[in-house]
Parts: sequence; C-alpha cells; structure tokens
Amino acid sequence: METMTLKLRVWRQPSTATDGELVEYTASNVSPDMSFLELLDVVNDGLIKKGEDPVAFDSDCREGICGSCGMVISGVAHGPKSATTACQLFMRHFNDGDTVTVEPWRANAFPVVKDLVVDRSAFDRIQAAGGYVSVDAGGAVDANEMLIPKGDADAAMDAAACIGCGACVASCKNASASLFVGAKVTQLSLMPQGQPERDRRVLSMVEQMEAEGFGPCSNEGECEAVCPKEISVSHIQTLHREYIRASLRRITST
Amino acid sequence: MSAVVGFLASSIGRKVTMALSGLLMFLFLVTHLAANLLVLVDPEAYNEYSHALISNPLIYIAEAGLLALFVAHLISGIAVWRKGQTARSISYRDNRWAGGASHKSLASATMIVTGTFFIIFVPLHILWFKFGTYYDAGNGVRDLHRLVVEEFQDPLLVAFYVVGMAVLGFHLWHGIGSAFESLGVAHRPKVRQAGRMIAVVLAGGFMIIPLVIFFTGGGF
Repeated sequence: METMTLKLRVWRQPSTATDGELVEYTASNVSPDMSFLELLDVVNDGLIKKGEDPVAFDSDCREGICGSCGMVISGVAHGPKSATTACQLFMRHFNDGDTVTVEPWRANAFPVVKDLVVDRSAFDRIQAAGGYVSVDAGGAVDANEMLIPKGDADAAMDAAACIGCGACVASCKNASASLFVGAKVTQLSLMPQGQPERDRRVLSMVEQMEAEGFGPCSNEGECEAVCPKEISVSHIQTLHREYIRASLRRITST
Repeated sequence: MSAVVGFLASSIGRKVTMALSGLLMFLFLVTHLAANLLVLVDPEAYNEYSHALISNPLIYIAEAGLLALFVAHLISGIAVWRKGQTARSISYRDNRWAGGASHKSLASATMIVTGTFFIIFVPLHILWFKFGTYYDAGNGVRDLHRLVVEEFQDPLLVAFYVVGMAVLGFHLWHGIGSAFESLGVAHRPKVRQAGRMIAVVLAGGFMIIPLVIFFTGGGF
C-alpha cells in the first residue's frame, strides 16, 4: 500500500495562560485509510517515544456524531472535506508532501485549554439558560397523544442534528454562535412541548450568548459550509424571527 | 433596562436596526436614481421635479428622516463590527474560505470599509449639489440641470462619482440579501442573486449619469 509523508504545523500551547506557537512535525508512513485523528495518534506515539509532550486534542466517538473533536485543518474548521468531522476526515483527501496547518478553534468564548483542546462550556451555559423543555413527571402518555405535523417534526429533527462541536463559531469571522443557538432554539420552538417556554427560551439563550462574548452573525454562511451536520443558516433567520417576536411581546406586555 | 433598550442593544437588535435603515435608504436610492435619470432625458422635467421637492415644506422632515436612517445605519454597523472584532483576539495563522454553502465574498468581508466611505461621500455630495451654485431657470425655479452638467465637466469629479457608485454597488452586493436575512427572511439563493443584480443595476444607473454628461458635454 502506498503511504504518504506530510509536514504538519501544529499549534502547541501548554496552557490557557501561556502563549502558543506553531511547531513543525513530519509524519511519514501515513496510510490514506487513516483518519486525521489517527494521524495525530501516530505523531503522538513518536513524540512519547522521544520523551516529548504529545499533542492534546479532544475526541470521543470517532464516528462523527459526538461533537468532541474539532480543529482547524488547512485553514478550514474540520478540514477541507464538507459535512465531515475531523475524526471522519481521511488522509486520502490529502496528497503526499502536503503541508498541513492544525490550529484550535479560535474564539475568546472558547479559551484554549491546551494545544488543540478548547473549553466549550460556553455552549453548555447557553443550553442551560433556556435550551430545555419542562415536562410533567409521571406515567408516559400515549405515543400519539400529541399530534405533530410531519413537516414540523422533520424540520425540528434537522435542527436537532447539531452536535455542538463549535465549528460554526470557529469559521465565523465574528466568532458568532448564531448557528448553534439558532439550531437549538428552532428545534424546541417547533415542538408543542417547547411552547410554554418559547419566549423566555430565546431571550435567555441570546442574552447568555452575548454574555459569553460571541460576536454578531455576519450573514456570510461560512458556518453552514463547515458544519459537519450541514445545519442550514435558515436556522439563524428563525432565531432572529423568534427573538424579534419574543422582544415585541415583552415590549408590548410591559 | 427597558425591554426596548434591551432589544436595540442586543446583537440581533443591532442587526435588525442596520437591516431596516439600510433597506429604507436603498428604497430612497431607487427613487433618487429614477429622478436623476430625468437629467439625461428631459432637463425641464428634472428641474420641475427638484423644484416640487425643495419647495415643499415637508422636505425638512424627509431630510431629517434620511439623516436619522444614515446615523442609525452607521451606529449599528460600527457596533456590529466592533463586537465581531472583540470576539476573536488571536487570529488564525492559516485561514481559508470554506466555499460550498458559504456566500462569503470580497464584498461581505469589506462592508465596514465600503460603508465608511460614505461618511466622506455623502457630505461632499450634498455640498456640491444641494449647496452648489444657484442658477435661476426663471419663475423662481432652480436650474439644477445646469449645475449638474457644469459639475460633471470635471474629469476628477466624474472619476470620484464612478468610483463612489462602484463602492455603493459593492456594499449592496452583500447588503440587500443580508438585510432580509437579518430581518428573519429565510436564506434563499434566489433572493441573494436578485439582491446582487439590483445592486449592479442601481450602481450602474447612477454611474451612467456623470459618464454620459462628461462624454457628450451635456449637449445631448
């Protein structure tokens, strides 16, 4: 089997408080069937054998559904292949002799913990601010008790495909979290279960989004282009409609 | 903080302010272009139209409204730009456009630059034409047509206007489609394409006027 040799320029940063820099590594005997994370595993094996500190990066399921991994590869979040997480990006999409730059998500709301690992708890705090529904405890109701139009169910499912990886923030020139928040708000506001908290949800989540330091939407659509789940920017427009509606209701009721 | 202030100070509220003021100024520009084109086809009708505008006392309210839109657009635009700047302190060493579903363009990446240009352009434009030489066409009607034709004999001024209108078209190339999305209209490629086409037609329409006057000497 043919193997490749790549030059990697990897962002190394010991901790949040210290400055980082790009460090060059040569990866040889790279199989085209390796994923990008497996490539980093091999590089790390070499570093450990030499007694050096391995490159820190997040990963969990390695099958593209958990949202843990995420890094900017060759200038694009999750790398050059669309609708793909870094763990599902295979080395066959690169050429022998390529120089590949690997950087962490860059946003002030996502501080670097170490190397390629960033702290995405800002997303958790936005979710906790309103991304939930309150349900009655007790016996489960009949499955078809509550009728939901097929179109609404499908649209809510499309929004729910968001895995919260943060690529939208990483790719936006304003480091905006609008696509993430839009997907979460849309998913719940389309469902009958989401109605009681509908206004409060969008107002609280947007307020938290601002407090975390994410920027405003640029309407450029880079987020949709890099989203591994192909979440449409139309969710951002839904977010704007929901926010305008909730704000008008608050203004007219006070 | 009142609910109104809370909305206006939020990043979505600022985008909505920017979109509404931008679209209303765009509508003004459509009427402005339609009236300006009269200068090429019917000088008398052009003077009569401008006379009808400036002799109407409501013009002051309209002017105040346009100034308010301009200032609202400026303030919200700068606020959006600044908030975006402060959201990422460390930039990427290798940063490329994603392509695919993205509609990022040179126009969308330079909105703050093309927008800022009009802080210079608009006051000069008003100074040269509204406060330019007063020629009397008789019956108390101002001969604005003569002023326009005289001003556009200067190649530097013609060049400034052609460049200025190119900048306007560039700003609207992203601005029209983007404004609808800020207001919550779901993204559709056709709306974006229509916005770009309208931007080209509007900027081209404005550009034609100084060019035609300059190359025909106004004696068409």
